[in-house]
Amino acid sequence: MFSYYLKLGWLSIRRNPFLSALMIAAIAVGIGASMTIITVNYVMSGNPIPQKSDQLFYVQLDGWDPNKYDEDDFEAPDQVTYLDAMALMKADKAYRQVASNRSGLVLEPQGEGERPFSVSTRNTWADFFPMFELPFIYGSGWDDSADDNLEKVVVLGKEINERVFGGENSVGRSVRLNGMDFQIVGVMDEYLPVPRFYDVTTGAFDEPADIFIPFNIAVEYEFSRNGNTSCWKKPDGEGYEAFLNSECVWIQFWAELRSDEEKQDYMAFLNAYAEQQKELGRFPRPINNQLSDVMEWMENQEVVEDDARVMLGLSLLFLVVCLLNTVGLLLAKFLGKSADISLRRALGASRSNLFIQHMIESGLIGLGGGIFGLVLTWLGLRGIEMLFGDFIENLVGLDWVMVLTAIGLAIVSALLAGLYPTWRACRIAPASQLKIQ
Amino acid sequence: MEFGPIWRAMMRNKTGAILIALQIAVTMAIMVNAISIMQERGRLMSRPTGIDEHNIFSIASIGFAENFNERVTIEEDLAVLRALPGVVNAIQSNSVPLSGGGWNTGLQTEPGEGIDGPSVAVYMVDEHGLDTLGLNLIAGENFSATDIGWRELSDNDWPDKIIITRATAQALYPDDPDSALGNTVYAGDDEAITITGIIEQMQAPWNGWDGVERVMLAPSHTLFKGTRYIIRTEPGMRDSLMPQVEELLAERNKDRIIRSMRSMDEIRERSYRGDASMIKILTFTIVLLIAVTSLGIVGLASFSVNRRTKQIGTRRALGASKVAIVRYFMTENFIISLVGVLIGAALTVGLNIVMIEAFSLTRIAWYLVPVAMLMLLLVGQAAVFGPAKRASSVPPAVATRTV
Amino acid sequence: MLSMQNISMVYRTDLVETHALREFSLEVAEGDFVSVTGPSGSGKTTFLNIAGLLEQFTDGRYELDGRDVSGLSDADSSAVRNEKIGFIFQSFNLIPDLNLFDNVDVPLRYRGFSATERKRRIEKVLDTVGLASRMKHLPSQLSGGQQQRVAIARALAGEPRFLLADEPTGNLDSHMAMSVMELISEINRNGTTIIMVTHDPVLAEMASRNVHILDGRVSNGHEQPQLAEVATG
Repeated sequence: MFSYYLKLGWLSIRRNPFLSALMIAAIAVGIGASMTIITVNYVMSGNPIPQKSDQLFYVQLDGWDPNKYDEDDFEAPDQVTYLDAMALMKADKAYRQVASNRSGLVLEPQGEGERPFSVSTRNTWADFFPMFELPFIYGSGWDDSADDNLEKVVVLGKEINERVFGGENSVGRSVRLNGMDFQIVGVMDEYLPVPRFYDVTTGAFDEPADIFIPFNIAVEYEFSRNGNTSCWKKPDGEGYEAFLNSECVWIQFWAELRSDEEKQDYMAFLNAYAEQQKELGRFPRPINNQLSDVMEWMENQEVVEDDARVMLGLSLLFLVVCLLNTVGLLLAKFLGKSADISLRRALGASRSNLFIQHMIESGLIGLGGGIFGLVLTWLGLRGIEMLFGDFIENLVGLDWVMVLTAIGLAIVSALLAGLYPTWRACRIAPASQLKIQ
Repeated sequence: MEFGPIWRAMMRNKTGAILIALQIAVTMAIMVNAISIMQERGRLMSRPTGIDEHNIFSIASIGFAENFNERVTIEEDLAVLRALPGVVNAIQSNSVPLSGGGWNTGLQTEPGEGIDGPSVAVYMVDEHGLDTLGLNLIAGENFSATDIGWRELSDNDWPDKIIITRATAQALYPDDPDSALGNTVYAGDDEAITITGIIEQMQAPWNGWDGVERVMLAPSHTLFKGTRYIIRTEPGMRDSLMPQVEELLAERNKDRIIRSMRSMDEIRERSYRGDASMIKILTFTIVLLIAVTSLGIVGLASFSVNRRTKQIGTRRALGASKVAIVRYFMTENFIISLVGVLIGAALTVGLNIVMIEAFSLTRIAWYLVPVAMLMLLLVGQAAVFGPAKRASSVPPAVATRTV
Repeated sequence: MLSMQNISMVYRTDLVETHALREFSLEVAEGDFVSVTGPSGSGKTTFLNIAGLLEQFTDGRYELDGRDVSGLSDADSSAVRNEKIGFIFQSFNLIPDLNLFDNVDVPLRYRGFSATERKRRIEKVLDTVGLASRMKHLPSQLSGGQQQRVAIARALAGEPRFLLADEPTGNLDSHMAMSVMELISEINRNGTTIIMVTHDPVLAEMASRNVHILDGRVSNGHEQPQLAEVATG
């Protein structure tokens, strides 16, 4: 019976190609517009590390300005100070933990006539690589001893390795950064988490760093800070030393806590630490330590732009307009073949037969609309890519989930749109529309 | 005109009319709110930075070599740049308006902890700053060469003097902004700085910041290892000078790399790219929306005309002229569209309220609603004209047919 | 009052030329009750359409009240139809979404009468056909005979020069048919000219005069003496 209805539906669509094309186009346009924006939202709010996102926690401590404390505005600063970062690293209370920030260094290739160029750098610790499960082509990250002993080691990103070493296995060789030789311990494969969750403070969708070096090295040699630095209090004294000891925040801190128990323990540790700092005269505000897992942190930092959400709302309304359109067209179509319907009724079709037949026809039109809608979605995403340029290169791909969503949404919408017209069609009395001379 | 019978007939066969009215209503709600967003973004984008944008470009210099002497490099670079034919002036600074990155600090009118004060953006410039940026000094005086210090990355002290924008003066002294000149303000709780000049307007690096007009100029060179030069050219000379400058600086000194050369126009474009794109997307959406709604009206009206062929023939037989038939359908559509835009007006305001709550959008300008109503009435009439015309060509002889 | 002289109607397609009417002539005087009969395909419907200015004819002359009404513009012929002719259709042709009042109102609207004048006329004609009490009802709530009466009322409302009836009882049972024909006869007795097209010889006999069409031509000219009464005006 189902295939019979499919055949009927197909014949009906073919009978009036113009009207059918109009209906399919109406749905396709609505789906195209909505799915384009839904995809962007989906990717922006996607989980970049689903296998671990509930075990990685962003740490916030609150040593901020007591005069800017508002009962309702319970916001701890979004980075930590050097003193706190080092204290937490030394305490080593989490399964793994890293403090990191960004710098810009200059790389001098050794070849003849090669010009130096700048590389974006992430300063971090040994734990960073296993924590965020970064894929390696050659070698691996460094180990704890390199951090402790201030060894000049570096992990290159794939692109830099290609550029400087032609893509070969460069592990063991050295590369000159800011006038110093660093030994290469590993080459990372392309890793484009979308969003770049481990540091969203300067743009969640930017490229990851070109190279990675130990945090302590960056501090030791006073490398530049390429992120946000905020201070509520002037450092006591002059010079770099004073800056390190100040209340300026400029470091991101992540901890890996494998279970709820570990999370509770770590929180307790943070609270004890905060108490202790209070006794030393720091942390003037009430204790406000935060542990946010990856998705919570994304939400907190409002990684999905408001603009994307606004567009989502508008495009869903757009879909509503297209659906109203479709209802009208389906009504026209079904009532237009009332002779056919009343004949079928005269020949014995029941109301539910007719209902199923016409719902299936609606569904078929939805399917057609969904397929064309996918094409339009693809075009729409290309358009968005063109408009925003290099800002969001990684945001505009259609994966299987989105494809199925598009088709599903189209069919469901068409079925919804078809409910009223189908109901009207079923009410046509048997043989009422047949001409009797 | 036969409003009464048309209305009564419509009421007995509501479906088609309701569908069209609803479509028009939702279309209006989307359209007006989208236009409102576009207007707001357009407003944001048209704000001036206060500097001579079309003739300014910036270029970064990052030292890396062992023996890189930053101070000498900067002094020599600036001398060379200022001597170039076509260059009006040049400075070294930590940032530029709309670049997205920079410094800010809090200023207070009284010394001491816990005192509130506005935060302002900081640009470090020398005595050539006003000329290079094309700023308008409206009170006080420019820095002199002796005022300019050299600030290392780890230096925490502020210079003794600053020049502020009028907006900063207003934020500091809301009751009497004109009194700002000569006053002492405090940075970092207790460091005294005198306001020695006021410029008319300059924007901070962050275009979305609510303090974007609050700027202070600090008389300082920077020794941060990396810096940017801001260069102002004679009108029309910018494009030819840019590659020249890049080449020149790169050749002069191999202990540093030269990169990120961008004109102010480009910096502005990047800064507002999201907003510009939003405007384009919304425009496209509105056009598409009106197309879809128009086609919907054409479709439904055609259907409605086809269903009433017999009736049209009868009316013609009873004495309706072709014009009368067209008028009938145009009137019918007018009533439907009118209902549609009335519902639409309510929906528009409702949607706007939701958007204000959820996304802190601004309220729509009042005139948008009647303008949109008029526009959609016209669109509806235009869409139904075709089917109405076709209706009028139904021959009167149809009335006597029995098949 | 109505004068058709040598009317010819030819339908031309690429392949075929059909002569629906050949040199058809008819004179109708004020107060006449003429029946036009003929088998199917004889040209009755064509005659009806031409008489009612629903179609333009190919050749000949058509005068109404001494005025040549051929080749009129759409606006003019619509005006003539509106003011001078009252149609009664076989399938009533009432507008289903309008109540009886609004249905009778339709031709009056094109006339430009004031609201008061229209109301007066509508109430009067609905009273004449005996349906004044059901003014606000819809056609679907009436029997076939009642619907035809409303159609007759609609035709009368504008005080036309003549009624043009097309198989007025074709869709009615014999009982309703008789009552409608009585109404029509009475209207004729009160002075209204009537031209009725029918294939039913019984109905045709109720008219005072018969014109028979065969193959597009008039094939008789005789009167029917066995008529109840001749309208005397």
